[in-house]
Amino acid sequence: MTLLQELDKIYFFMKRDIRSFSTYKTNILLSVLSALFGALSYAFLGSNAQMQSVLNSYHIDFTTYLIIGIAFNTYLSQSLTLVQKTINPWSLEEVLVSPTGLVTFIIGSSAWGFIWSTLVIAIYLAVGVFAFGVVLSINIIGTVLVVALGISTFIGFSMIGAGILILTKQGDPITTGITIATNLFGNVLFPPQVMPQALQVISYFVPQYYFFTTIRQVLTGATLLTILPDLLILILMCAVILPLGYLIYSWCLRTAKKNGTLSWF
Amino acid sequence: MKSAKDFAIVTHDVTKNYKSRIRNLEQRTSFFHRNHRTVTAVDHLSLEIRRGETFGLLGRNGAGKTTLVKVLCTLLPPDEGTAIVNGFDVVKQQMQVKRSIGTIFSVGERGFFWRLTGYGNLEFYAAINNVPRHSRKERIMEVLDLVGMKGNAFQLFQKYSGGMKRKLALARALLADPPILLLDEPTTGLDVVSSRTIREFIRDDLSRKQGKTVLYTTHYIEDASQICDRIAIMQKGRLIALDTPNALRALAKKNEVSDVIVKNMSKTQINALKGMYGVASLAADVQDAMLGQTRLRLRLENVDTLPEIFDFFFKEKIKIVNFKQEEPTLEDAFIELTGSGIKE
Repeated sequence: MTLLQELDKIYFFMKRDIRSFSTYKTNILLSVLSALFGALSYAFLGSNAQMQSVLNSYHIDFTTYLIIGIAFNTYLSQSLTLVQKTINPWSLEEVLVSPTGLVTFIIGSSAWGFIWSTLVIAIYLAVGVFAFGVVLSINIIGTVLVVALGISTFIGFSMIGAGILILTKQGDPITTGITIATNLFGNVLFPPQVMPQALQVISYFVPQYYFFTTIRQVLTGATLLTILPDLLILILMCAVILPLGYLIYSWCLRTAKKNGTLSWF
Repeated sequence: MKSAKDFAIVTHDVTKNYKSRIRNLEQRTSFFHRNHRTVTAVDHLSLEIRRGETFGLLGRNGAGKTTLVKVLCTLLPPDEGTAIVNGFDVVKQQMQVKRSIGTIFSVGERGFFWRLTGYGNLEFYAAINNVPRHSRKERIMEVLDLVGMKGNAFQLFQKYSGGMKRKLALARALLADPPILLLDEPTTGLDVVSSRTIREFIRDDLSRKQGKTVLYTTHYIEDASQICDRIAIMQKGRLIALDTPNALRALAKKNEVSDVIVKNMSKTQINALKGMYGVASLAADVQDAMLGQTRLRLRLENVDTLPEIFDFFFKEKIKIVNFKQEEPTLEDAFIELTGSGIKE
């Protein structure tokens, strides 16, 4: 056993991993993009002097803004990966040979994740209320409606991402793209108004912006009438994204079955 | 004259091609170009399996057995042809097909949740296989009892041995009491005793007592010959023989069979022996790698050729450790039909 031999072994361990890694090209690209946009969003959060003045127009303090943003972002992140979790190659085939429909399969596989996320949100909000003096005045009907729309929209995204993952077996660009869009343009950690004008415009095209804007309002006492314009846009986006997600997911599942690649990962 | 109702499974000209992307960089023409290859896994395969029959599908790895099972259980749509299971089309009537079958895939522990107990796992699968809630508990205990796992019902799945996992997979397949069982290599990787227990259960309980139709794929020849009413041999996606185990054995009977164990015989020498006049077929398996022993299953067209074979061993300085002449087995029939041993 010589040092050269050991170095040779280390080199081949590395070579094995690089070869395997290089076959996941989408994944590589997405990791780089995530890092880039992640850094950008924290930069906006940390270095913007206008933050408080923008938040004044929201009639909310920064702690409340942030607690609600982080709590419900956990919810959406959970929704975004829920359908992907159902395509666990370990059990997918066994479930698919049972007489269980696709909708039951997706809802059944996601149900516990939602319940758990709801508990996590409750913890976030409780910490906010009891430790940081966050004042909430919850419009229950509005909250349920906005949450249902947000989840449905994100399940739509999740189905698109999962469908692509079933087909490509590589990184899922949709989930990464949505996560980036949420962090940067979604009104989660900072209001889009603190970004340069050109980037602000993008916010108006992402459903996360409308979700986070309306959820903050209904949790701090706003009526449905007050949030109606943003709510209508959210309803419209959900009406497009959810069925589109279902169609794409079922098409990808059918294609993978046809190609015989359902359990290849 | 048998009608369609007499058959549990009917396939007509079923073909399944796999198109896969070549991921290995060394085989690709460039880093950015996506090369594909097409492999025909099942090639215009037609067969009829009678109700209540235990039907063996025998073939080497890659012969197309698993693909056929996946077509029959609706996981893979055929590219050509039709497949009917329990009277239902696997493409157009998927739900009815799924209600008619119980399945074990070749990796038996797949689909089980390791942090749940055996009972907990079956409870989940009973629910998604439409076992009524009121009779679920009773049915789970019944199938666990059938496979001899009642005493281990509340152990965590991760604590089960390989044999217990397979038995649980069998119990899962039986949960909804389906008339047809598709068992894809249910004994692979098991020890001799566990393997025999499962085979006997399939033959005695499922087939004889319960009258279920069993499609049993395996590459263990003796497994198939012990429990199957009929056996089909698959090679490269095609059906090359279909008959009872005895009739298949008879195919090889016309030739003399010698079982020879030799020492230090090279691949070149094996090929030279294979090409000798009078040698109908030759299958070689490593008998003992440490001792350099190889087992030769030699079929001769005529017993008169034997002296020439011994002469070959003598000239090539190959030591004969053991030699015996035997009645042809199903393995010989397999070699006769496929031109190679099942383990090659």
